[in-house]
Amino acid sequence: MKKKRTEFILHLISEVAHFILDADPSRMVISLHQEEDGLHLSLFDDKQRSEEELATIRKALEHQDRPELAGYYGSMAGYDMLGAARLDLIGWQIKAATVRDSGSGTQIDLWLGGDRFDPEKFSLYKT
Amino acid sequence: MEREEKRLYGIMEMLLAGFFIAGVASQGPAGVWAGLIEIQLHPARLLNDFTLIGGEGAALVNAAFIAALGLLLVRVSKVRLSGPTVSAVFTIFGFGLFGKTFFNVLPIVAGVAISARIAGKSFGEYILMALFGTTLGPLITALAFETGFPMVPALLLSVAGGVAVGILLPPVAMVMLRMHQGFSLYNIGLTGGFIGVFGASLLVASGKSLPSVLIWNTGPSLLFVYLIPVVSTVLIFTGLISKPVRYLKDFAAIMRMSGRLPSDFMSTQSIRGSLCNMGVVGLLTWGYVLLVGGDFNGPVLGGIFTAIGFGAFGKHPKNGWPVMLGVVAACLIFGKDLAAPGPILAALFSLTLAPLAGEFGWIIGIIAGFLHLVMVERTGAWHLGVNLYNNGFAGGLTATLIVSVIEWYRSTHETAARR
Repeated sequence: MKKKRTEFILHLISEVAHFILDADPSRMVISLHQEEDGLHLSLFDDKQRSEEELATIRKALEHQDRPELAGYYGSMAGYDMLGAARLDLIGWQIKAATVRDSGSGTQIDLWLGGDRFDPEKFSLYKT
Repeated sequence: MEREEKRLYGIMEMLLAGFFIAGVASQGPAGVWAGLIEIQLHPARLLNDFTLIGGEGAALVNAAFIAALGLLLVRVSKVRLSGPTVSAVFTIFGFGLFGKTFFNVLPIVAGVAISARIAGKSFGEYILMALFGTTLGPLITALAFETGFPMVPALLLSVAGGVAVGILLPPVAMVMLRMHQGFSLYNIGLTGGFIGVFGASLLVASGKSLPSVLIWNTGPSLLFVYLIPVVSTVLIFTGLISKPVRYLKDFAAIMRMSGRLPSDFMSTQSIRGSLCNMGVVGLLTWGYVLLVGGDFNGPVLGGIFTAIGFGAFGKHPKNGWPVMLGVVAACLIFGKDLAAPGPILAALFSLTLAPLAGEFGWIIGIIAGFLHLVMVERTGAWHLGVNLYNNGFAGGLTATLIVSVIEWYRSTHETAARR
């Protein structure tokens, strides 16, 4: 189970990192906070994005209950290097996501977990 | 369930009911019943046109029944009826005219359900692989009716073989996706071909030869000639009946998408815009067959219905024309008849490579279509026709080749530029 979770996290990091690196940032930070029934992944970069661009990212990462896509096409997340990164491959597989302007760039937060998992416990700006 | 999704269910149910009624009306209930039995017990490898084996009416009813089963599975699994599932139901319907039967699809679906259980997933997470995975139905009927074994052991072997194939499909399908990175729409065709090659090799190694087959109806009725324009018109009408300007804009937006897997047009744009796209794709592919003088039989209608279905999940006129043109170019250069079975099916099913044109431009699309034609004429023999999506197999190989070259070129070109 641990190996499966590790692989899954790696694919998520890879897909979102691909997206961030496509914009050629000077800095990128990835932070992971993990507990037994959930995890919180935060990615920061130093790229200023317009509200429209942030809305596009939010839409791509918007949680959608699409098990038929997550179970099959979701396996492509983190693998495909040709073409643009596809954040919607992640959107079906996560519990929640937020995208905000951090002041010095963009912050993307992803929460994953089971049904008991409460993303409210896992926010960097609350710690 | 949202209102638009309910409406979509209504449209699908209406179409399937229409096909059923048309089938019974054209052949009569007794004729359809006898034809259906004939179809279930007949080998189903490429190319067995069910309109000749059981009659056009029986073929339509067979296709409508198994498509209805697919729709029921979607409903029961509580997954969304949207681009991917709509394309699956239309594909099942199309191939129900020349290869899929109740007998040969059920073991595979059962096998995928077992595979989901093993992986700790719900059936809904694997439903697309179950629905599309019925491409290997002919392997089940080959084991049952073409190996020469006594009836009971043959039936048990065929069911066991189908379940085994179903269990293997999901892990292989997910790896195959990574090969072409979503640039071939019929990924299960590539998967089925890959598994089919092993299955066929086992059969040959055990001394069971499976000769090639070509049962092709060259005299379809007016029902089959005009079925597609009627269905396409219904789709366009239901798409544009209210707020036509808005949904035409959605149709235009669909044509700006590359179509790379997984492009759910119904979810990213709108259901109605997608219905319009599906209808237009149907009319254009029907027009192509008419233009080249093709036969509107089971396999050809199967190709058109598959194209229509994927009009909700990756294909549109703008990314489709280059690959079809590539197939036409290859046929003209190599002196092939555009209306012959191989070339006409290659043209219709080459649309699996539409995302290549959508992403990389029309020149790459033409090259892809060209290579697809030469590949598809070889790949059928590798799996002895047990993989119905043979064009998907050839398309997946073609896409993998093109994608690997483009990826290599871009990465080395970038490295050189940085130096």
